Amino acid sequence: MKRPGDFRIVNHSVPRADGVAKVTGRAMYTSDIELDGMTWAKVLRSPFAHARIVSIDTAAARQSPGVLDVITGTDLASLRPYYGHAVKDHPILAIDKVRFIGEPVAAVVAEDDLSAEEALQLIEVEYEELPSVMEVDASLAPEAPLIHDEAYTEGAFRGFKDGRQASGNVCQYVKVKWGDAAAAFASAAHVVENEFHFPMAYAYAMEAYVAIADYSKKGLTVYSSAQHPFMVRHDLADIFDLPLNAVRMIIPYVGGGYGSKSYTKIEPIAAVCSWRTGRPVKLRLSIDEAFLTTRGDDARVRIRTACDAEGKFLARQATIHLNTGAYAENSPLVCAKAANRIIGPYLIPNVDIDCYAVYTNTVPASSYRGFGSTQVTFPAESQNEELADLIGVDPFEFRMRNLAQRGEVIYPGLRPIDADVPGDLRQIESKFEEWGAVQEGRGRAVGCSASDAGSHPVTSAMIHVYSDGSVSVLSGATEIGQGSHTVLAQIAAEEMGVPMSKVRVVGGDTAITPFERSTGASRTTTLMGRAVLEACREAIAQLMSFAAEALGVAQSALIEECGGVRHGDTQWSWGEVIEKHFKHKDTSIIGRAYLRQTGDLKLMPPFWEIGVVGTEISVDQETGKIRLERLMTVGDVGLAINPAAAEGQDLGAATMGIGVGLFEELIYDGQQLTNGSLLEYRVPRFSDLAPDIHMTLAQNQDGSGPYGAKGGGEGSLNPIPACLANALYRATGARVRRLPLTPERVWRALQERPKV
Amino acid sequence: MTPLNRFEIHQPATITEASRMLLEHGEEGGCYAGGTELLLALRHRALQYQHLVDIKVIPGLNSIQAANDWIDIGAACTHRDIERSPLIREKLPVVAEMESHVANVRVRASGTIGGNLCFAEPHSDPATLLLALEAVVRTEGESGARELRVDELINGAYSNSLEPGELLTSIHIPVLLPVQRAAYVKYQIRERPALGLAVVLDTPDGGATISQARIAIGCLCPFPRRSAAAEEMLRGSREEVEALIPQAAEVLADDAELIDDNEGAADYKRHLLGVFLRRAVARALDGA
Ligand SMILES: Cc1cc2nc3c(=O)[nH]c(=O)nc-3n(C[C@H](O)[C@H](O)[C@H](O)COP(=O)(O)OP(=O)(O)OC[C@H]3O[C@@H](n4cnc5c(N)ncnc54)[C@H](O)[C@@H]3O)c2cc1C
Repeated sequence: MKRPGDFRIVNHSVPRADGVAKVTGRAMYTSDIELDGMTWAKVLRSPFAHARIVSIDTAAARQSPGVLDVITGTDLASLRPYYGHAVKDHPILAIDKVRFIGEPVAAVVAEDDLSAEEALQLIEVEYEELPSVMEVDASLAPEAPLIHDEAYTEGAFRGFKDGRQASGNVCQYVKVKWGDAAAAFASAAHVVENEFHFPMAYAYAMEAYVAIADYSKKGLTVYSSAQHPFMVRHDLADIFDLPLNAVRMIIPYVGGGYGSKSYTKIEPIAAVCSWRTGRPVKLRLSIDEAFLTTRGDDARVRIRTACDAEGKFLARQATIHLNTGAYAENSPLVCAKAANRIIGPYLIPNVDIDCYAVYTNTVPASSYRGFGSTQVTFPAESQNEELADLIGVDPFEFRMRNLAQRGEVIYPGLRPIDADVPGDLRQIESKFEEWGAVQEGRGRAVGCSASDAGSHPVTSAMIHVYSDGSVSVLSGATEIGQGSHTVLAQIAAEEMGVPMSKVRVVGGDTAITPFERSTGASRTTTLMGRAVLEACREAIAQLMSFAAEALGVAQSALIEECGGVRHGDTQWSWGEVIEKHFKHKDTSIIGRAYLRQTGDLKLMPPFWEIGVVGTEISVDQETGKIRLERLMTVGDVGLAINPAAAEGQDLGAATMGIGVGLFEELIYDGQQLTNGSLLEYRVPRFSDLAPDIHMTLAQNQDGSGPYGAKGGGEGSLNPIPACLANALYRATGARVRRLPLTPERVWRALQERPKV
Repeated sequence: MTPLNRFEIHQPATITEASRMLLEHGEEGGCYAGGTELLLALRHRALQYQHLVDIKVIPGLNSIQAANDWIDIGAACTHRDIERSPLIREKLPVVAEMESHVANVRVRASGTIGGNLCFAEPHSDPATLLLALEAVVRTEGESGARELRVDELINGAYSNSLEPGELLTSIHIPVLLPVQRAAYVKYQIRERPALGLAVVLDTPDGGATISQARIAIGCLCPFPRRSAAAEEMLRGSREEVEALIPQAAEVLADDAELIDDNEGAADYKRHLLGVFLRRAVARALDGA
């Protein structure tokens, strides 16, 4: 295997392929696209958390100038109006009842957005209010109203575990168990037990949801800000009963996702609007509407951990309740991930975890960067620190005693740990030593996490190698800002022996690019990157045989070189081989690769995503305000295809951790979301970044991706909140078990601190 | 993005013409300065104007003038104009400093001081400081010109005492006397401040004693206010004043009708008043 230093293009921080277009405003996003004859849709939203729809009067709205159609749930009877990749519980527009404030009830299609908006105000809906449940406990109470009384079918990609375990308002239940936790607790030297709360968070992206749908006899074309075009294609094909080749998803640049753009969002609404009117329809939400579209699951975690007298873990038991909101969306997956990611990168011999995703009458929860790990690493790493303190062991030392070494199995049946986590921690430790003694009033902490990342390894890639030496990479992975189009081009340029300028990545069009399951779970570099590498190798194998044929020699007599082939004094570039093969100019060949869950990808997960961070904070003890002073991340990415991009992901992820750690929280007052706007919901700003930031990459080439690469981008988020809480404890002796660590919360904890 | 309703823009050449336009359109019309609040309110249909009278095109409405003992700031001056004005930086640095921390640079670049005061959003920095500085706002309308105190102009949350057709034209601020020290401090987590506190202290002897104090608080109450009782407590030697700060803060807190909301529970805000009153006094006296 090539090592760092051997690469021409890979492992170098080449400039982003999309950088100039984006900073000069020339990059095309879905919002920028206008189709001939395009109309606009606007959505009327429910003012009730839970209500039966008695009637909808659309007559006046239909008469409004410029209006083409007004569509409600009852107009969708000839379709399959419920969608959902996990659970088909989500109506395109509310049918019979509404389940959260903000749920789409009707859509107006008009010649322009203002006419659509004006007509919305003319729709009369009569509701009959039903009792609502806004929180997990209320939802699980015996007399709680049922949010979904229908028996829904499973989605195609991750349904109810073992059928619908789910009953009542439980959307999904997952149990993780090995060993005998009860017995271990009974005989343990030390046990700590606490309850933690992770907030309802919004994965803010600069671009809100936008989709343009064009339905005709030929099929359905949708331009969208979607992150997983092939998953959305599935839902759309199912809704309209269309063959896969009749649904085309085109994804231009996407303005950030952080989980919020995963799976189907507003595409079905835009699609039914076009289906009804026969015109292309654009539906573009405001950020305020995006707040009402999805969010992350808030979590309550009761967790108990035991260790022996030497500080070796004996057992962990936890009961996790996720507030999943009105529809399942991706929460069944978040539920499964939260259940197993609470282990962390540690060896725990006895484990017993129950995780419930619970429906409530709130905005549906779905993916949020970190997928469950963010929610559970906070309790896990807080509690680990409490245990370390209890037995009087240094936090580094405590973790070292329990961390899995490379090759050890932390979760029976899953891939052994493919990283040197203790080595990553030692990097933080030596940085802390370099920083010297902690100043009075400040606190320092380390934190780590391990996530079974990558999702299902079903990925295809295709490359065209042209006779002029240029190369196109056809990838179904979405360039969502993470830099994948640059990284994939680097891999192709490296393999095909051409400069970056000769490689073009063609992405985001399901009619052109082969299947890629999703762009999430930190998988793109690992899986799509590997598929691109294999497609290049497959192309080169063809080219070698073509060259042998053209030269009339055995293939074994040829020497493969960077960018071409040599035989004695004859040296041909790949382009020349192609031209000689076809005896024609402007020709090309196709290289392809399919990844499946076989061979070294048989064991799930495709890789472990490790998060290792260190923070130092200061605290204004009078106001309770925390300031992050120093941050260090270790990106354990196997090999950074583009080190600057990898570090950018780490800084972005850590910053998101600062957000949810210190300020971000959606707040309901009764049925009403009170801060669903950027004026009220505080996301991190540049001024919140630590003045002192160190980003390191661990490049041990131990991943299943190209050249030993593994994914990053979520890891550095997961341990940050716990790290901040632990640093707060170090600084002040106050332990806060509820995020975010708002000044008021910290101030109260300081008041309640045991007096010394 | 929610589109704005249809509206017409009118561009008056004089204040009198603006006033006439506003009267003509009555409930359906409103002043349009920087639009930073107005456009949000229109987008959310909290305001439903069909006619916007664009007052920032009126010549002279964005001028900054000064004499020996006062400064006049035109209502259409943006926060950025004020923050960067050499005149204000020299004569009333506390105002320039406060302005440089209003909102973000985009809002400061288009938002005006007049719009800030007239909108009477409870989380206003300028309103609180101007109240403590005993600024006077000048208005012009059909029935002539008026001069109002800031707490006469702002008479409730999102509420002002302007009459139909009346405009705010300028803000008249007395400059500090040589014996006066002023400071504005604020506490902020989100987009707008949660607490604003301004003090103006008269100290004839360079900070050893305080002969008179003005304290204004804002953001944690529906509109900015002063408290004579609290101001009375901050007279005396510096030690005496400092010892009474906690009690004065209690008085301010009682006056403020504190409530529990997303910005904090009332007891936390009460606590913060004590912290920031002390910090404001220290900053005024020590410049720190
Ligand atoms: C994101 C954001 C953050 C903010 N943060 C802060 C902050 O930290 N501190 C702070 O103090 N403020 C803050 N603000 C408020 C900001 O200062 C105001 O938005 C701005 O000053 C308003 O001025 P404008 O010219 O844009 O007013 P406009 O939006 O044009 O008008 C506001 C209202 O005042 C009326 N009006 C305007 N001028 C006059 C006049 N001369 N006579 C009569 N009526 C008039 C209008 O009719 C309208 O009703 C923030 C605002 C935003 C949007």
